[in-house]
Amino acid sequence: MPRVLIIAYGNPLRCDDGIGWLVAGELRSRLASPGVSVLQLHQLLPEVAEAVSRVDSAIFVDASRDGEPGEVRCARVTTPSTKASFSHQLSPAEVVGLAQELYGTSPQAFSVSLVGQSFEHGEGLSRSVTARLPHLAARVEGLTKQILSGGPVSLPEVEV
Amino acid sequence: MKQGNTIVIDPVTRIEGHSKITLHLNEDGRVEEARFHVTQFRGFEKFCEGRPFYEMPSLMARICGICPVSHLIASAKACDSLLAVRIPPTADKLRRIFGLAQVLQSHALSLFYLSSPDLLLGMDADPAKSNLFGVAEKNPELARDGIRLRQFGQQIIERLGGKRIHPAWIVPGGVSEPLTATNRDAILDALPEALSIVERTLEWFKSTMENFREEIASFGNFPTMFMGIVKQDNGLTFYDGKLRIVDASGKVVADALDPTRYSDYIGEKVEPWSYMKSAYYKPLGFPDGVYRVGPLARLNVADRCGTPLADQELAEFHELQRTAVLSSFHYHHARLIEMLYCVERMERLLNDAEILSLHVRAVAEPNALEGVGACEAPRGTLFHHYKIDDQGLIRWVNLVIATGHNNLAMNRSILQVAKHFVRGHHLTPGMLNRVEAVIRAYDPCLSCATHALGQMALHIQLLSPGGEVLDQVARG
Repeated sequence: MPRVLIIAYGNPLRCDDGIGWLVAGELRSRLASPGVSVLQLHQLLPEVAEAVSRVDSAIFVDASRDGEPGEVRCARVTTPSTKASFSHQLSPAEVVGLAQELYGTSPQAFSVSLVGQSFEHGEGLSRSVTARLPHLAARVEGLTKQILSGGPVSLPEVEV
Repeated sequence: MKQGNTIVIDPVTRIEGHSKITLHLNEDGRVEEARFHVTQFRGFEKFCEGRPFYEMPSLMARICGICPVSHLIASAKACDSLLAVRIPPTADKLRRIFGLAQVLQSHALSLFYLSSPDLLLGMDADPAKSNLFGVAEKNPELARDGIRLRQFGQQIIERLGGKRIHPAWIVPGGVSEPLTATNRDAILDALPEALSIVERTLEWFKSTMENFREEIASFGNFPTMFMGIVKQDNGLTFYDGKLRIVDASGKVVADALDPTRYSDYIGEKVEPWSYMKSAYYKPLGFPDGVYRVGPLARLNVADRCGTPLADQELAEFHELQRTAVLSSFHYHHARLIEMLYCVERMERLLNDAEILSLHVRAVAEPNALEGVGACEAPRGTLFHHYKIDDQGLIRWVNLVIATGHNNLAMNRSILQVAKHFVRGHHLTPGMLNRVEAVIRAYDPCLSCATHALGQMALHIQLLSPGGEVLDQVARG
């Protein structure tokens, strides 16, 4: 059983929304280890809750609209106070909440996102975002190694 | 929202795609007409023109994120026809397993994620709780079962096709890769759990039916014909066979129809208020040629399932009504019996002596300029019809989709529910939910029907005789 599950998700046909989808391959090579598993998804569905319930830590990797394009933002994921009304697309917090509700266990969870610039129809990332993709991968790699080392996790909220 | 004498529900929720409903009231404030408007558009039939024919399966799979496998199968069968080849027997069996896995996960999505809130919490439940999270709170085992069954179907698709959504494993002439022993054994190992889930869900569902007498009586409970593909022995199938049509009494009105000649007996009408075409049985004309497809229709046209547990349930299902089973509420019940069949049938196919054969693809150049592929998608009969030029480029495409077959029946069902439950000029959440629930029973996929992409949302309008919107409700 992997100790850390990385869930990299997004829509590669909506430009920068594909950040998570596109970085998944890079994360697989950087973090090839029996203790780490990488899921590449278009969106978060209820099924993800089952996978999340079986690990010690989960890291959600996605594009974000909140912030300056190119910023890498990190946060702890906490269980939401309100529940989703729609099961087609969940937030990381709702996935963690559902894991707790259905399986009685949820891991410590983090979100690492890269702020995108364009979310229009189309393939490929905008130039400024492409340049920051290695920083996103490095941040996820660093966080994963901190978790695997068993030490305290330091979480700078924003890296520019 | 109510505007004049029209109620508008916009968008419709917990279905696949974008739509709205308008209910027109007469002078007495009673519902006299209902329309189900599909408001999304994509136009796959046009933009495929000029593409090489061998790209079609991959392109067509993009029509839908829920049932891409059905589009792959119908498209590949149309391309087999263009190549004029008979695919290797193992490829035929592998395509069948792929299709059954998809039916299983799609039916699980419909029943557990979209409709179980209505069935478990009731039609009048707080809309804020009528979702999978509400189900998880009240009956966590049911929610876990839904998730597990969806995973099971998706994992088979991933094992065979390489990915869960838009797999390109099915190709003209067969499939691109044989099945490995490891993948076969892994699927077989998971089958008993899937079977247990379906069996206990079926028992639970049957125990709840007593709570829905009024819905069973009013949810699309009217005479229509039913159409589906059956095997040569008239048994249930999703992959290949002949078309059969029965009337409301259960009498066979057309049998052994060649699916490739669908246009001889199926007409399609375009209405100005919807992007979804309405299919009808040509000999009876429009709109008298209304028929239904999908799980309810398949179990009405098939004499047997051909697997022991599903056949036992089918016999019980046919006891619901001496004629064909008419209420669209029973789509849910039929869906569960089909899930049982899928698990049993997959086990049989996976244990076939030839299933690991390496001969899985026939290779040829185009030998015909026109091809039709047909199969049973989760929601009903699916036709792909292509014409190509001498260079193998697509010149014309026609797609007849399950939800389009059901369009006339869905509109009538909405009218029946609205007449029964809408009182006066005011909408209640329970009334709104029942109008939506009857649509959910059909499990329409509007992305497929309009070949368009989108989330399902609902908009109901209540209109006066003069067209004034009296009330409307929008959600999504």
